[in-house]
Amino acid sequence: MSGPGANPTPESKAEVDRAFEQLYRDHLKDVYSYSYYRIGNHHDAEDLTEQTFLQAYRHFARARRESDGRPLRPWLIRIAHNLAANYHRDRSRKPQTPLESIEPPAAQHSTEDLVEGRAELRAVIENLQELPDDRREALVMRFALGMDNREIARAMGKSDGATKVLIHRAIKQLQELLEEEGAPVEHG
Amino acid sequence: MDEIRIENLLADALKPVDPPQRMSDRLHDTFSAITDAAASDLSDWAEELTESELQSLRDPRNWIRPVTALAAGGVATGALILVGFRRRSRFRG
Repeated sequence: MSGPGANPTPESKAEVDRAFEQLYRDHLKDVYSYSYYRIGNHHDAEDLTEQTFLQAYRHFARARRESDGRPLRPWLIRIAHNLAANYHRDRSRKPQTPLESIEPPAAQHSTEDLVEGRAELRAVIENLQELPDDRREALVMRFALGMDNREIARAMGKSDGATKVLIHRAIKQLQELLEEEGAPVEHG
Repeated sequence: MDEIRIENLLADALKPVDPPQRMSDRLHDTFSAITDAAASDLSDWAEELTESELQSLRDPRNWIRPVTALAAGGVATGALILVGFRRRSRFRG
């Protein structure tokens, strides 16, 4: 496997490796969360996360040079996004629903509230799977990874404006789906 | 149901997921092995050459001699093939 950069001096190579290790520490959870919500099972999410970081390592030195000091998380998520697309194309699979990961909200107290809260979240996750891929991905990036519009735009290769519209429409569509279904959503 | 409510539900439903510890360990080991191997290769290669050899390798003027030697070798090989071909033609004739 060819490492980052061409003919680096030992110092610069060590520096690049240290920076990559930092990137890995900072964003392992982001890449894993994204992979998990795209793929829907832990086993394949692990594989996707590993592949993402291996590919990132190969191109890290160049990405660092070209990033001009901007955060590399969108670049990393874009790699995971492309690999996830290949995964679905190769296997012709739809993402599975990761229901087992959902915990009831901490604010719930009574058993009735707990059950209702769980049903709400289940309805949200199930209807999320009905959204077009780009809308669902944008919501995963926003809510699971806490990315802002600009980061999501870079990760998806869209403009900031188009991303803002995409997220707005995704939330609107989800809202309509939940209302059509008559999901047990309490008004906050 | 308003948008804020949907956003709150999404924040609850799409919580970040912790990667399994075994995967973090495995990935960390993989990168340690890759970076150690790369550092070791680089160090071995550098140790085999003296500073003056490294200097001369960087100087493009010193690239002419190996190129000339390769070209001369190519011409000599061509000439030998030609001589051999003519000799075989003469024996057949």
